[in-house]
Amino acid sequence: MIEDVHVSLAHGNGGRLMRVLINELFVRHLGKESLDTEADAVPIALPDGEIVITTDGFTVQPLCFPGGDIGALAVHGTVNDLAVSGARPLYVTLAALIEEGLEIALLERIVAGLARAARTSNIKVVAGDTKVVPRGQGGGLYLTLTGIGVRPHGTQLGVHMISVGDMVLVSGPIGDHGIAVMLAREAFGLRGNVLSDAASVLPLTTAIASTPGVRFMRDPTRGGLATVAHEIAAGCGQAVELDEAFIPIRPTTRSVCDILGYDPLYLASEGRVVAVTSPASADEVLTAWRSLPEGQDAVTIGTIQKGTDHLSNQVVLRTRIGGMRFLPELEADPLPRIC
Amino acid sequence: MIEAGEAAARALLERIGGIPTASQVTIMNVCGGHERSLSMLGLRTALPEHVQVIPGPGCPVCVCPEEDLADAIAVAMTGHVTLVAFGDMLRVPTNVSKGDIASLAQARAAGADVRPISSPQEAVVIARSLPGKPVVFFVAGFETTTAPVAAMLMEGVPDNLSILLAARRTWPAVAMLLRAEDHALDALIAPGHVATVMGADEWRFVANRHHLPVAVAGFSAESLLAGIYSVLRQFHEGIAFLDNCYQELVRPEGNRNARRMIAEVMAVTDAQWRGIGIIPDSGFSFRGPWQRYDARMRHEIVASERRRPGDMPPGCDCARVVLGKVRPNECRLYGKACTPQRPIGPCMVSDEGACHIWWQAGIRTT
Repeated sequence: MIEDVHVSLAHGNGGRLMRVLINELFVRHLGKESLDTEADAVPIALPDGEIVITTDGFTVQPLCFPGGDIGALAVHGTVNDLAVSGARPLYVTLAALIEEGLEIALLERIVAGLARAARTSNIKVVAGDTKVVPRGQGGGLYLTLTGIGVRPHGTQLGVHMISVGDMVLVSGPIGDHGIAVMLAREAFGLRGNVLSDAASVLPLTTAIASTPGVRFMRDPTRGGLATVAHEIAAGCGQAVELDEAFIPIRPTTRSVCDILGYDPLYLASEGRVVAVTSPASADEVLTAWRSLPEGQDAVTIGTIQKGTDHLSNQVVLRTRIGGMRFLPELEADPLPRIC
Repeated sequence: MIEAGEAAARALLERIGGIPTASQVTIMNVCGGHERSLSMLGLRTALPEHVQVIPGPGCPVCVCPEEDLADAIAVAMTGHVTLVAFGDMLRVPTNVSKGDIASLAQARAAGADVRPISSPQEAVVIARSLPGKPVVFFVAGFETTTAPVAAMLMEGVPDNLSILLAARRTWPAVAMLLRAEDHALDALIAPGHVATVMGADEWRFVANRHHLPVAVAGFSAESLLAGIYSVLRQFHEGIAFLDNCYQELVRPEGNRNARRMIAEVMAVTDAQWRGIGIIPDSGFSFRGPWQRYDARMRHEIVASERRRPGDMPPGCDCARVVLGKVRPNECRLYGKACTPQRPIGPCMVSDEGACHIWWQAGIRTT
């Protein structure tokens, strides 16, 4: 039983309090059978296929926001990086850097959210580490996850697969996570009912895993859709043309952006997929996505154009009134860290 | 998804395309908000090639006198004053020797109490929270800022608050441009926000005295295009009148209450515009009883020695951008030495500066 209200440095000193914290909080939620707290390292079993690995640190403020918290966000973020690589996520490791003074009840809520997200995505937390840093040296809680998954041998996904004429698709409205976190900070005197879109994209990527003609997938997190478009343009050396009128953005998200002067094209989503497909496969992908609850608003938003002269490596936005302009690469961070 | 306003905008574009023209038409806008809409909508690429819409004097921060800015820095650096200013004023550089404090942001980094605010009301709140400490509100802005500042003073402010006034009027700058024999302007889009306060009638002189088509426009694609359509149509028919295409907000006489408050608190004076010089009737000073709020009356201001006082920084074309003589990407510093991360001129600093807007809209070098 944890008797303290707040995490103290003693919860990270390797002694009794740390053992209690790990067993009563982390192991209780994450499952005794998969998480062996006695071993320094654990063996894992992997099915046949190409092994894929990813790692990511999470530092969102506030730790809990409408539609999620840092725990669920960390699992989804890690799962999503594997999923858009065409892999089935299997395991994650979890390192938690806890700031002295964090409420244990809040930590428990976050770990419970993390465990729930892991169960939903059918992955196991197989190794972990807990550290407590002195007050003032950490933003409440930082999480670092490493994810391991497996994908079929010979999976061909990546910007190098993209060619002129391909279509750019998005699985749903963009920017909700960025706005939800920003509103949760209450620093702007604005309130809105925007929920973060943070979720696993595994159903979306699985649904099109065997569709031929899928060239590339990415989740538009930090830097948003515009940044993914730039990665595509730079990666294939061509131009990406996006049609603003078709880019799905929820009205509330758009209004908040209008008021605060943010461009939603640069705001993070944490549960969307941007895919590039051959022209012939675009409809098949859209049909597959739209049959899923998380893909109902899936739509084609652009194409890959020949990157001649000044157009190479550029992202061109066809504006809502039919004008054209370049969509520049993100310069200054529009917001403080949100993922 | 195409919304109603966008369909109307596309229809206006078609009508604009249908106006037969024999020559190039140059239309000036004089509002950072208009320039932002034009650039972000990619409107220029959607208009016929012979129609050129250029940015003019639409950025008060850009023309804020270098001397006033140096005074603001000097006041802040005395150490016993809290200086508040609208956020984009903080990074505007003055011409000082290398190593000296060139901006309010640098003054803050050096320990001065400089705070960015986003409304006059915030200045009052800060002054109330610091009883006994002098708070100086550095005001650079057009009539849209001047009116709320006048209202703030008339409502009553704490005794420790004073104003360093660098407010400017918009139309006198346009009048100066149009008085020049060699101006190359064919029509004007008048500023929607300023006209909301001061009235559409302020812009009648453009048509009556200078015989140029003029339209007050709002900030949506539809409203801007309605204004552009109106002036092109007038130009084509060889007529010139004032057309109010923003009637939902702009009245001929503007906001009477706001104008009354400005007139009560401030008198119109000739005023310095950075890099441009003195423009008649383009600034404000405090009227008699209100002079007790003038920061210059309360604080002895000794600005540091500067190079090129009053000018734009060396090599910076900001003044000519403001006057519509060159486009932002024609300045040789644009995107090279001067970017939003490391701005050299105020046009690259302010949210209303044409250089900053063009950069954000993805326009790189020529």
